[in-house]
Amino acid sequence: MRVPEITDDPLQPADAAWRELSSQTVPLVPVPLESQPNEYIRTAWEGRPYGRVGEVQVAAARHGERLFVRLEWADAAEPNTEFPDGAGVFFPDSADDGPPVTIGSRAAPVRLWAWRDRLVVQQDLPAVRDLVASGPGVFQPVGPRPEPDPDERPGGPSEVSTGWALADGRWAVVVSGNVGAAASGRMGVVVWDGSNEERAGIGAVTPSWVPLAVA
Amino acid sequence: MSSRIESGPDVTGNGHAGHPAGQVAMVFDLNKCMGCQTCSVACKVLWTRGEGEDHQWWMTVNTQPGLGTPKGWEQMGGGRPDGRPKPGHQPGRAEFGGGWSFNYDEVFYGGKGRSVHLQPTDTGDGTTRWGMNWDEDQGAGEYPNSYYFYLPRLCNHCTHPVCAAACPTGAMYKRAEDGAVLRDEELCQGSRFCMEACPYKKIYFNYTRGVAQHCILCFPRLEQGVAPTCARQCPGRLTFVGMLSDPEGPIHKLVHQWELALPLHPEYGTEPNIFYVPPLAPYRLHDDMSIDYETPRIPPEYLESLFGPKVHQALATLKTELERVRAGGTSEILDTLIVYRWPELFGPFTTDPAQLERTPEKVAVALRSKPAGNDHG
Repeated sequence: MRVPEITDDPLQPADAAWRELSSQTVPLVPVPLESQPNEYIRTAWEGRPYGRVGEVQVAAARHGERLFVRLEWADAAEPNTEFPDGAGVFFPDSADDGPPVTIGSRAAPVRLWAWRDRLVVQQDLPAVRDLVASGPGVFQPVGPRPEPDPDERPGGPSEVSTGWALADGRWAVVVSGNVGAAASGRMGVVVWDGSNEERAGIGAVTPSWVPLAVA
Repeated sequence: MSSRIESGPDVTGNGHAGHPAGQVAMVFDLNKCMGCQTCSVACKVLWTRGEGEDHQWWMTVNTQPGLGTPKGWEQMGGGRPDGRPKPGHQPGRAEFGGGWSFNYDEVFYGGKGRSVHLQPTDTGDGTTRWGMNWDEDQGAGEYPNSYYFYLPRLCNHCTHPVCAAACPTGAMYKRAEDGAVLRDEELCQGSRFCMEACPYKKIYFNYTRGVAQHCILCFPRLEQGVAPTCARQCPGRLTFVGMLSDPEGPIHKLVHQWELALPLHPEYGTEPNIFYVPPLAPYRLHDDMSIDYETPRIPPEYLESLFGPKVHQALATLKTELERVRAGGTSEILDTLIVYRWPELFGPFTTDPAQLERTPEKVAVALRSKPAGNDHG
């Protein structure tokens, strides 16, 4: 996927810059049950469908040191009152790392920028988290837990930020962070369907890396 | 901070992690609990006054039989009844209920004090239709043989903590020093598998901060020789604290030597470290109001459903000891349960917190698992 240099910060999915950029449809598959990190999760989800979002439209752009990734997918389900919809993009350290389907591993952790919808009762939570993922749901925050930023504006070079919108049964989400995270030239995508109680390692993921050609 | 017990094939521990160097345990004598909720309030005041904690009661006292808190928790699954994790239900806000806001302005300042009564404001999410002690004193049975008793509940700090086994990030863990099951809120990502897996449903979710929270056995107090606040504030002298392995302590005697104190729902398979002396009840009355000495008012099968088959022998032991004392004899068991001297309840944790030196370092220690109320994330 081509990642052109642009002159704005297109943090909102409706920003004009996205209309000029081409997007790519990327298939998603359920994160394998056998790779889930513990027996409880494997047992609880055995025989229970998950990873229900089958594909996502992906576009990306660069502005200076910031990388912007726009994700869009269909979601007609009523929101769950406990678990939010979510999506994330993740980057391996090396192009030689294994497939993305486990969202990293202990031997080859990935950097994950994870967005989640704000439920009515969770309005103070940061909508995007900067994480290190070393397996399905085996996520750890990068640095201390962040203070809430209601404006979600891009901050320093290492901070992640986000904008999102739900319209006509489709989510459109932009996540942004330092372009250095994409140095390997590869990206994975994960989507969680909150209406199906998907979270952590229970979700839909790209079965192969999305190549990034960053300008 | 503290060392963890972790072992097994799973990434973050499999829940049968072996035994800690010492296990702090508690015994509640249900024959003395009067349901006053002082323990609940003491815990609430100390630990759950921050943002997103309004509905949290890490210590609760419910009337049995009853649906308890969260509503119907005994039917929500979880645990490891056959040695394997059993999928469970994650209780939501409506099932816990509580955390209400009241119409104070309308009643006290709105000129409607004579026409509107004080009531929780309906937030439309079901939380005003249940609470931490909703079915108080309802019990079961028909007059004059109706019955109930009180059951204090907190995290069981299980020997096999399925909450820790289910956590994908390693945020939940069992501490090696004293067996307390704790959580690292920096690591918690709010997936709530712990809440599903816990069969006792004593883990809450902080919807403001996005983290799971539960009783921490007052570990900052234990570290300074102070008993947990629920035990220390109990006016009924019914809450014992101590090391489970101390052969001279009342905990060991009640649990292992006399087998009088039993875990709640042992069939859940997690080996709780909170134990209960089961309740004796008055005898039933015949229709003519004469006493039926053959039939206890609380059905033994109901007590067995809570405490397992050992409950019958425990109750028989209690009766035997009572009869011995009534006949003029003595009973070490009853003397232990009576608790003539208050500090004997607390094993090695008899330090008076009012006498502690409160240096900034010690305050920091006490607060280290209790982020400030305005901390989000």
